[in-house]
Amino acid sequence: MQALDGCSFAVERGRMLGFLGPNGAGKTTTMRLVFGLVEPEAGEALWDGRPIGLKERLRFGYMPEERGLYPRMPVGEQLAYFACLHGMQERAARAATVDWLARLGLAERADAKLEELSHGNQQRVQLAASLLHEPELLVLDEPFAGLDPVAVHTLAEVLRGEAARGAAVLFSSHQLELVENICEEVAIIDHGRIVATGDLDELRRRSQRRRIELQLDGGPPGWFPHVRGVELAERHNGDLHLLADRDVDPEQVLADAEGSGRVLAFSYGPPTLSELFLELVGS
Amino acid sequence: MSPRRAITLVARREIRERLRSKVFIGATILMLVLVAGSTALGGALSKTPTYRFGVMAPAPPGLATALERAAKPFDDAKVRLQVVTSAAAGRQALRDEKVDALLLLPQSRLLFRSNVDAKAAAVADTAVRSLRRHLPPAPELTAGTLEPAKSNTTDAAVLTAMLGASVLLGAIAVYGQWVLTGIVEEKSNRVVELILSTVRSRHLLAGKVIGIGLVGLAQLALIGGLAAVLLAAGAFDAPTSLGGSVALIVPWFALGFALYAVAYAAAGALASRAQDANSAGGPITYTLIAVYFIGYVALTADKNGLLANLLTVFPLSAPLVLPARSALVGVPLWEHVLAVLLVLATIYALVRFAGRIYTQGLLRGGPRLGLRTAWRLSRQP
Repeated sequence: MQALDGCSFAVERGRMLGFLGPNGAGKTTTMRLVFGLVEPEAGEALWDGRPIGLKERLRFGYMPEERGLYPRMPVGEQLAYFACLHGMQERAARAATVDWLARLGLAERADAKLEELSHGNQQRVQLAASLLHEPELLVLDEPFAGLDPVAVHTLAEVLRGEAARGAAVLFSSHQLELVENICEEVAIIDHGRIVATGDLDELRRRSQRRRIELQLDGGPPGWFPHVRGVELAERHNGDLHLLADRDVDPEQVLADAEGSGRVLAFSYGPPTLSELFLELVGS
Repeated sequence: MSPRRAITLVARREIRERLRSKVFIGATILMLVLVAGSTALGGALSKTPTYRFGVMAPAPPGLATALERAAKPFDDAKVRLQVVTSAAAGRQALRDEKVDALLLLPQSRLLFRSNVDAKAAAVADTAVRSLRRHLPPAPELTAGTLEPAKSNTTDAAVLTAMLGASVLLGAIAVYGQWVLTGIVEEKSNRVVELILSTVRSRHLLAGKVIGIGLVGLAQLALIGGLAAVLLAAGAFDAPTSLGGSVALIVPWFALGFALYAVAYAAAGALASRAQDANSAGGPITYTLIAVYFIGYVALTADKNGLLANLLTVFPLSAPLVLPARSALVGVPLWEHVLAVLLVLATIYALVRFAGRIYTQGLLRGGPRLGLRTAWRLSRQP
């Protein structure tokens, strides 16, 4: 079975890349490939231009999609174990464990068994396991899934911090607004192919669509601009959210609106990541 | 990271996890109590053996009392005297196991069934001597047997040796199942993905087998050590050859465990859910048990027969049969060497085979993987 085909993108040190794609597009397969958990039939994953082997992977951090730690092992001991597996010495591993548990607010739970922790806290431990050894590349599969808004904020801060430290950060997510907020770069995958990759703002500008937001007062019900190449994305009372082809002149839309009522607000610009995503991946 | 460091880390985690387990600590204490208890019980029971003597009528007056007095120094043994009408009737009683020894006073002979019991002979000798008011040194009675003496081992000895083998069987099966369960757990909660991104699967496999093997060895040593201390303290009788075969149990546990644990590991990697852990180990446990029983039958039939010899060196049966057989009859050095070499070669082949299956099985979720599928997948580039 072929899961990936023509999948090529890069993430640099100090940058954060959001890895996007519909379910089953091949995100997890791509990430597992980086860690040698699947063997590609062709192609390869490179780090600093060289094929990735076990030695390189010791300097990577990985948070798999299906979370996995030892349920009955104490949290602190467990984290130190994974740090050692990444090549750290015992003393340094223990120090890093203490440090990260404190940063994630779990200092008092070091001796608790993992299964005794709440779901959210287990997630934090899982995150810590991928961070203790100060990885050069951090790969996280759906790290934000199932987190409450506070935890989302904490995790976003941690990831920003890792990128600032100089790590290359790659994570997959379906929360596109979140990705838009914290990532400079994205890679969008569909059916095992990368359909877009690069600087997020650049990609948005290059889109064939433009986003128009318009707030109209007193217009006829169901008003819609008579301009070719404009379609309705969303309507909420007088608030219209339109998508237009790139060559549509926004002045025309505005003029049409002004002829029908009082325009309270008007904005024109590149599409959001969600719109870009739907444009590239949608049927 | 060096392979040695990786294996050490994995092994150390396994050891810590077992030592943390209350079930493990509880089971160890229970076994220590059982060993101590059974020796105490055995001691209590063997304190008062009963020697049943047959004597031809008319029995000399005072014989029963003399026998009882003579038996006193022998663990306070009891004596039962049965008077028979004729020598023929006495032999029949001996044959029917109604008596343990027949006193033929006119001939100054003491007749046993097939093996001379030294203690019973000493009791009878002392008693008759005191009746006849004779003094040592010449033995008063000549001991003999009704049937030709069997070889120096008895069915009881085979039983004892196979009991030792069954301890090995139990240890290998229990610790092997630990390996399997541990692997199924790692696979089912996906922690294995995290580990395999840093450690080669064969090093994970080796670390697991070594860690659990060491825990098992320590547990066996603790229990065996207690038994040895009790043995030295004279808490129970044991054949002299036992010492040597106990010494063999340790290396053969290590070899047998390594061999079977690798197979258990492969089975664990192929299972998909924690609930499958028990059934996945089934074929291997059945193999162990089958090998044990074939060995038992072979040793009972003929300790030096072709089958017994084959089973001594056949890799799957050697860990159980060799220590047992060497406790019964001497096993020539070359058979020891051959058996060890064959087991080591099998372990090597199995590690290579299981290592591939292990990697495939661990990383593939979904339904249980067939052996053939796993092998086919492992051969793909």
